[in-house]
Amino acid sequence: MRYMMLVYTQEIEMEKASQEEMARVFAGHVAVQQETRRRGIFRAADPLKYTSTATTVRLQEGKTLVTDGPFAETKEQLAGYYILDCADLDEALEWAAKIPTGCGGSTGCVEVRPIHEFPTGPQGEPILATGRG
Amino acid sequence: MQFLLLIYENEQRFASGFNPAEMQEYEAFGQQHASAIKGGNALQPTTEAQTVRLRNGKALTTDGPFAETKEQLGGYYLVEAPDKAAAAAMAAKIPGARFGCVEVRPIMTFS
Repeated sequence: MRYMMLVYTQEIEMEKASQEEMARVFAGHVAVQQETRRRGIFRAADPLKYTSTATTVRLQEGKTLVTDGPFAETKEQLAGYYILDCADLDEALEWAAKIPTGCGGSTGCVEVRPIHEFPTGPQGEPILATGRG
Repeated sequence: MQFLLLIYENEQRFASGFNPAEMQEYEAFGQQHASAIKGGNALQPTTEAQTVRLRNGKALTTDGPFAETKEQLGGYYLVEAPDKAAAAAMAAKIPGARFGCVEVRPIMTFS
């Protein structure tokens, strides 16, 4: 089953981090990605730019309302994600604990969400168009 | 440039299943933007979420999402767009933008 791991970190901590800390976090991500690729369970991962670059779009009565910033202000911010194909939730939680969340090792968390698998069409095509992941 | 379009809406709307007409809209959106869409998934509700925190080397796991919010992350698309305005225009066509909102976040690229 595929799981999405949502990586939340405190952007303010990342801004304060030394180059050594950033290098350690980066190396932690490389290690998780190499090991999950080696096991054939890696599906996707992407880092996101800071929430200061976010735009939120709502459609109200047919009109598009665009606001700067993320959908909600939270103490920790979404910094990236992984999609891993795990045997069960326990395996997903084990990988989640290995994903670095930020700097200093004392902030952040990883939310693990199972992916909703849609049935495929008559020719095996996905009902909802998706690419990788 | 690549952007993540994060779809937030009240998941109670899906408590008794998906609306077939709305699913067709998602399918049409997917077909219309097939060349721009690099990935995408729907997520199971936040009642299925677990959150993992590592403190002093120990993993602490709690039930539920990382934060309780009025609207919940229900799915996403990863898209290729020339700029943020184009990504936002695409976001406005996702059915979820009518019921909740779509957050547009540029993907970080490392040089």
